Amino acid sequence: MKQALIIALFALFTALLPLIIGEENPYIIGIMISVLMMAALSSAWNIIGGFAGQFSFGHAAYFGAGAYTTLILISSFELNPLIGAAAGMVVAALIALVTGSIVFGLRGHYFALASIAVAEIIRLSVLNFEFTGGAQGILLANVTLWGLDLNSKNPFYYGMLLLLIVTLTVTEYLRKSKTGYYLQAIREDQDAASSLGINLALYKNRALLISALLTSIAGSLYALYIRFIDTSAVLDLRLSIEIILTAIIGGVGTLWGPVLGALLLVPLAEALRSNMIGDALVKFGLVSETSSVGIFLNENLAHAHVLVYGIITVLCILYLPKGILGLFRRVK
Amino acid sequence: MLFLQALVSGILSGGVYALAGIGMSLVFGVMNISNFAHGDLMMLGMYLAYFAFTLLHIDPYLALLLIIPVSFLFGFILEKVFIHRVIDHPHQNQILLTIGLGLIMSNTALLAFTSDPKILTTTYSSSAINTASGLSISVPLLLSFVITSVITAVLYLFLAKSSTGMALRATSQNREAAQLMGINVAKMSAIAFGIGTALAATAGALIAPTYYIHPLAGHSFLLKSFTICVLGGLGSVVGAGVGGIIIGVVESMAATYISTDWKDVVVFVLFLTVLLFRPQGLFGKKGGQ
Amino acid sequence: MSEPILKINKVSKHFGGNIAVSDVTFAVEKNRIFGLIGPNGAGKTTLFNCMTGFVPITSGEVIFNYRKINNLRPDAVCRIGMVRTWQRVKPLSSLSVLDNVMVGAFAITGSAGAARKIAVEKLAQVGLSDYSAKLAGSLSIGLKKKLELARVLATRPKMLLLDEICGGLNHTETASILQLIRDVREEGTTILFIEHDMKAVTSICERIVVLNSGVKLAEGTPSEITSNPEVIAAYLGGGFDA
Repeated sequence: MKQALIIALFALFTALLPLIIGEENPYIIGIMISVLMMAALSSAWNIIGGFAGQFSFGHAAYFGAGAYTTLILISSFELNPLIGAAAGMVVAALIALVTGSIVFGLRGHYFALASIAVAEIIRLSVLNFEFTGGAQGILLANVTLWGLDLNSKNPFYYGMLLLLIVTLTVTEYLRKSKTGYYLQAIREDQDAASSLGINLALYKNRALLISALLTSIAGSLYALYIRFIDTSAVLDLRLSIEIILTAIIGGVGTLWGPVLGALLLVPLAEALRSNMIGDALVKFGLVSETSSVGIFLNENLAHAHVLVYGIITVLCILYLPKGILGLFRRVK
Repeated sequence: MLFLQALVSGILSGGVYALAGIGMSLVFGVMNISNFAHGDLMMLGMYLAYFAFTLLHIDPYLALLLIIPVSFLFGFILEKVFIHRVIDHPHQNQILLTIGLGLIMSNTALLAFTSDPKILTTTYSSSAINTASGLSISVPLLLSFVITSVITAVLYLFLAKSSTGMALRATSQNREAAQLMGINVAKMSAIAFGIGTALAATAGALIAPTYYIHPLAGHSFLLKSFTICVLGGLGSVVGAGVGGIIIGVVESMAATYISTDWKDVVVFVLFLTVLLFRPQGLFGKKGGQ
Repeated sequence: MSEPILKINKVSKHFGGNIAVSDVTFAVEKNRIFGLIGPNGAGKTTLFNCMTGFVPITSGEVIFNYRKINNLRPDAVCRIGMVRTWQRVKPLSSLSVLDNVMVGAFAITGSAGAARKIAVEKLAQVGLSDYSAKLAGSLSIGLKKKLELARVLATRPKMLLLDEICGGLNHTETASILQLIRDVREEGTTILFIEHDMKAVTSICERIVVLNSGVKLAEGTPSEITSNPEVIAAYLGGGFDA
């Protein structure tokens, strides 16, 4: 009950935020949409990765499935975006079932590797086919849904927030249910789990399916929001890794870990990308703009956010493997 | 004729793949770790070869004499400082650590060398031997294959006959038992990782004359190396060797008969197929891992 | 003589060239406490693994409740009522003691509330109630073994396979577990016991099968077994605490 209350309060606070910040700050709203999306993606991944302990390194496949299916159906057949999103979920479900049926009978590193293979096959296929836009991607001119102006940011803010809340609620519900207990048992010790009557493949598939469906919805929302997608934006291995990293840093297997991770990493990445940190260092007189250090930072910090991700990953695994929330984590 | 050409090219390029696969398989056998930085280690080898050529004017194949010990040392240190700490941790953490290290390597390279691809052209980069029957055999490919064979033979002898080699094999078969027999398994891990790194870097150096050299070049080899390892049987050095040749041929055939755009997809589909029907690979033992 | 709940019929297991279990045949009567003993490497745990679906049988049959269960998946074996414990304990370390037992209880119910009730009951039965909220990984080995017992009891098994459940326990802990096992048998469960500790085996088992190098050496009551010269000779290589 306690967690449900926290989720509700979080939802309320976050829902009111745009009204407080106001229309004058679309940039901040944009960042928050990214935060909410990454939080939702990581939370969805957490279901299969954190609770079941099966690390999928190819979750971008489900994100891309949602994004591409939605935009293809809208631009080629002028279908309603909701139908596009639903179709995206079907595609994601198929990918999940195929992946699961290949690997969930095996133990060890295979799922990680297979998930990458599946994601890469999809990425390369999308790149090579014409109807998916090939390397050019897909550009959508205009989208309307029931008169809602989809050119503004607010509908997507609330859309991502809703998805996050749904994901958190599903996670919390699962955790207290037989499925949740079984997934955690699988994570802890598969042999023990099996000997206690747990059908390993069935439950792993179930977790992956739920995770894939939620991830694909995020992809559909993203596609409608940005209205341009290509393989490097929605099917890249880097996205898959970013999702995992967000969960790890916040605390994999906890309810709020992914949210915390997103709150930390997304603004950090944005600060690096937009050179905010470099500018700040100059402003505070720590670095002179014309010095060689200053010039180097100015040119390169923007590209360095992936390097920073790498460093954070290494530090996190070495010193904080259970993430930030893992430090405080008790049994439940 | 097309078939023969594709076959020959495939076998030759398969040699380099085999080298990369063997390096990864050794690490997997001795340490039970999937090294996701393997591709980036290959990339480092490419750059080492490039700079040896442009700055020191050493032919990349000769530069191997320098690259092998340097990269071995690098891998050895990497293991001692980083990898060693997670040797008993869950697999997923090990994978993430190597991914993080890989990201650091590739992005440092990106910052240092920019993403402009470098090209290493030796006098023989585009030379080919044209046989009487009409086959065109690329000289760099042939040279790499010869060098790969030599290195593989040396490695095989090392593993089979030397005391360190036998200790490595013992650790690979049963880490606990090896430890009980008095083998310093921690040192074996560092050595294995050093060798794995050296092999990866060598593979990178060998393909440097024929590939675009850029910081993200290693990534496509990562999954291929895993495919080779799984195909050959995780932990089996011989298997990785055979697997490498097979993948080289499969890729070459796919490029010839389907298209170059799809050759990677074919390899990855092969990977999934192996997982589906024979997860222990050609030379591995059955048992799900 | 009551009817057999478990029949092992000429079961063999080969690992490549290594013959771990060879042509073993015996039957366990319902509601008995049956012992499976033998020196180290005799094939006892391998036989357990074959029976419970963790290792495929090379030849022979395992018949449980008149049903051939060869090569059923382990979770299916649990669901038909044959549940095992592990020689090397397998607690679900990051979960609490209570949650561990609940996982077992979910084998017979879908509701978390019902599972919790069963878990509480089983924890009380083995005397671990005070540890309910503790992380399973933090327990001592003796308590972990009790936890494993509570966990399998929560599945309400028809037959329990106990793999060296007294291993690593001191005398008090051993006595405590043995009493628990007697109680469980009183409730109607059949018990098959792999054990090393001969005192424990002879004190509790009604019938014993002896394995040596994968082959069945002898079968009989405890007194028959302890006076059997072949059995004594087999143990004179170590591993026999008389």
